[in-house]
Amino acid sequence: MGKVVGIDLGTTNSLVAYVRDGVPVVIRDAAGDPLVPSVVSFAADGQIFVGREAQRRLLTEPSRTVYSVKRFMGRGIEDIANDASHLPFTVAGDPGGAIRIGVSGREFTPPEISAFVLRELKRRAEEHFRDQGEFDFEVDRAVITVPAYFNDAQRKATRDAGKIAGLEVLRIINEPTAASLAYGLDKRNRGTVAVYDLGGGTFDISILRIEDGVFEVLSTNGDTRLGGDDIDDVLVQFMWRELQRAGLDVQALLAAMREFRVTPKTTSANVVQAAPERLLSFSASLTKAVIQAKWDLSDQDETEIRIEASEVLPAGYRRRMTRSEFESLIHPLVDRTLEPVRQALADASLLPKDIDEAVLVGGSTRIPLVRRQVEGLFGRRPHSDLNPDEVVALGAAVQADILVSGRREMLLLDVTPLSLGIETMGGVVSKIILRNSTIPASGREMFTTGVDNQTSVDVHVLQGERELAADCRSLARFKLRGIPPMPAGLPRIEVRFQIDADGILTVSATELRTGIEQQIEVKPSYGLTDQEVERMLLEGFEHAEADFDTRLLIEARNEADQVVTATEKHLRRTDFGDIEQQLLPGELQRIDETLQALKDAISGSDRELIQQRTHALNHATQHLAEVTMNRSIREALTGRNVKEM
Amino acid sequence: MTPNQIPVRSVSMLECRNCGAGAPVDEHFCPSCSRILALGRHGDYFSFLGVPRRLNLDVQQLERNFRELSRKFHPDYYYNATSQERLASLERSSYLNDAYRALKNPVTRIEHLLAIEGLPPAKAEHPSGSGATATVPPALLEEVFALNEELDEIRDARESGADPERLRARLDAARAPIDRKREQHEAQVASLSTRWDEESPAATPDRRRAILEELRAVLLERNYINNLIATIDREVASTGSGQAAGSGNAERLDESVVRRPTPDAHG
Repeated sequence: MGKVVGIDLGTTNSLVAYVRDGVPVVIRDAAGDPLVPSVVSFAADGQIFVGREAQRRLLTEPSRTVYSVKRFMGRGIEDIANDASHLPFTVAGDPGGAIRIGVSGREFTPPEISAFVLRELKRRAEEHFRDQGEFDFEVDRAVITVPAYFNDAQRKATRDAGKIAGLEVLRIINEPTAASLAYGLDKRNRGTVAVYDLGGGTFDISILRIEDGVFEVLSTNGDTRLGGDDIDDVLVQFMWRELQRAGLDVQALLAAMREFRVTPKTTSANVVQAAPERLLSFSASLTKAVIQAKWDLSDQDETEIRIEASEVLPAGYRRRMTRSEFESLIHPLVDRTLEPVRQALADASLLPKDIDEAVLVGGSTRIPLVRRQVEGLFGRRPHSDLNPDEVVALGAAVQADILVSGRREMLLLDVTPLSLGIETMGGVVSKIILRNSTIPASGREMFTTGVDNQTSVDVHVLQGERELAADCRSLARFKLRGIPPMPAGLPRIEVRFQIDADGILTVSATELRTGIEQQIEVKPSYGLTDQEVERMLLEGFEHAEADFDTRLLIEARNEADQVVTATEKHLRRTDFGDIEQQLLPGELQRIDETLQALKDAISGSDRELIQQRTHALNHATQHLAEVTMNRSIREALTGRNVKEM
Repeated sequence: MTPNQIPVRSVSMLECRNCGAGAPVDEHFCPSCSRILALGRHGDYFSFLGVPRRLNLDVQQLERNFRELSRKFHPDYYYNATSQERLASLERSSYLNDAYRALKNPVTRIEHLLAIEGLPPAKAEHPSGSGATATVPPALLEEVFALNEELDEIRDARESGADPERLRARLDAARAPIDRKREQHEAQVASLSTRWDEESPAATPDRRRAILEELRAVLLERNYINNLIATIDREVASTGSGQAAGSGNAERLDESVVRRPTPDAHG
């Protein structure tokens, strides 16, 4: 078994951490830098850069460089029309489908781009373990964090990114709760804690109660489109206005850049075109200048925004900015965090005075205005003892350690951030699992038919708080098939919804009168199918240095999965009772044992063992397959006889 | 939501899927091999959480038991276990969370008690789901009638451009008697709950049932009152926005949502 890490996959920066001798530590590069900028750049010669170097190339090769891809995870083209108008790379997608990012003549889904960042983190960690003299330095498993307010599609997209990067994703956990774990380590106290997490792209608030080492989330809320990126945007907009006043023809510039716009019509027309390179470069330098100013103003009262001379702006530009000017610009944004905080408190049935401690997480909480706001909200000075950039990765490492070591002194009980429901007649949403339910959580719902002898029913699963399906997030549509023909209203189909500890949904169904398990084909609305993820994983290996062994292992697993599925399908047949009578004594038991042995092998990573046991199962089920086949042939023949008569 | 329509097999023993030994239904772990047991069809949140079947629960005990059981069931601790145990852990954790959520809240606690004592839920829906409506509880007929009339008038007044401030005052006035009713009902629920706790252990089946039926009736009225208040709140909201909301979203008080998917083509 390889190493296990915790990963904070951020909008702006990502980090990797692990637990060493019971203490979580962030892994740094040779220069001591813990951050890997979540930026991927595709050079003209085919080289791919990730992290600091890619971030530098934002200025020199903006149209070949992708950043802030977390904002697109699990979203559709219709969601991102506004975001896309600022981007230097092209974005495409069919309405209702996943987004594709076009860069350097290639197309990637957001999970594929994130997988490049994850591979870089994996590489960094492996290098670290090798330097430590570890013999077994491969990193094969990880806990990855997501914003608490991420919906099901966004969580799945994150898990897919991990798989594409060749990591087994042990758990998806929420960033604010991960942070609370890191804090809980040295405090080990009890009380009610509010975690205020303002990161690069998202805002989360989580209210937790800590008692006996159990970290129970009472409520969570947030805004998945509010963060440091938006603060930068406000400043950039302000700078455009200032440049206009200084005599630059900003309208013409922006018009030239706005040639790209999303119009969700047909597939080919959905491609958003990138603007000319030099304009993008100028825009990127503007962003860089305001980010520097933002940082300066966290510990200075005044700074100077400097834009170097360039083709677009031959004289360059300088402007002083005071902290109070900066604060009046970003005040409306910071105020947008207040409503989610109020809602979270209300959902937990608490008042601000009930909060014993407030904790700050995320780079944007370095801004003094944000700190004052939080202090005002809870009437106490917030904690920021741990580095707000690193605390989430540290918590993820702690959770990873809990999972693999079986340590039980701490337990995280998180909640699902959004209600889950299904569309009923008239487009109304009927809620099945309410928001802030502790996960794992389950819900069940009865369905019936509307017409005589109807054999299938469409189900539309949604996430959100609104009354109408059109206002909620579509997660999946599926069809319940194989309902026995009955008069309308008679079938009783029980659909079970299970949200697991990752906050991810699975669905199953049974017709209760007959006990027949229904087949469900879930078509994820904005996600990838398992096959797509698998293909991307294989492609990923082709792109990166080919890890041949892992690839063979995956292929062996795939083959084994097929045999397992085929066997289980046989065993689940409705007429299996009849088939079983034709089997030899002990045969069924042998099949069961062989099947279980193969399943165990699949969850490990011994390729030869998997292949050996796949073979064994093939062998053990040969007779069963024959019996079933004969039976099917007989049935088919009788069927034809009836028809011919 | 009509799970009560379905005959549920009652299970008195669980079978350990690991060693095949039998276990009482309230056990979480196999008495002989100590592996986590598959959930089966449980049904009683009180016994699952190890608390007495009472309505005035010791909340701290409930919380303690919840945390203790969470530590035993949570999927975090079954990462290296067999797939059977992982499934059992997922099922037991989900069930535990559902049970805790239901018992933590006094109203859902009563609803659960009614369900396990064999009384159909307070809010019944037509089994075939065809345009069923919840009828107005008789005790509330007078208030509902008066309120509906007043709301209709307020809507009319709003559409003909009446002063929002005055409309708001009328809504507040309409709300006052309903608020009083709610307070009465909360008090009734509380005293009935106490009566159940005190009398039920020694009571005859008929007596138990009588208390529960009273509880159910009061709860039904209480839910109905909450819906009325929600309706008034919605009216206040659309009055506050200063514009006529349009006749399209005038709410009927007796509207009930029927959960049924859109029918699909015949298979």
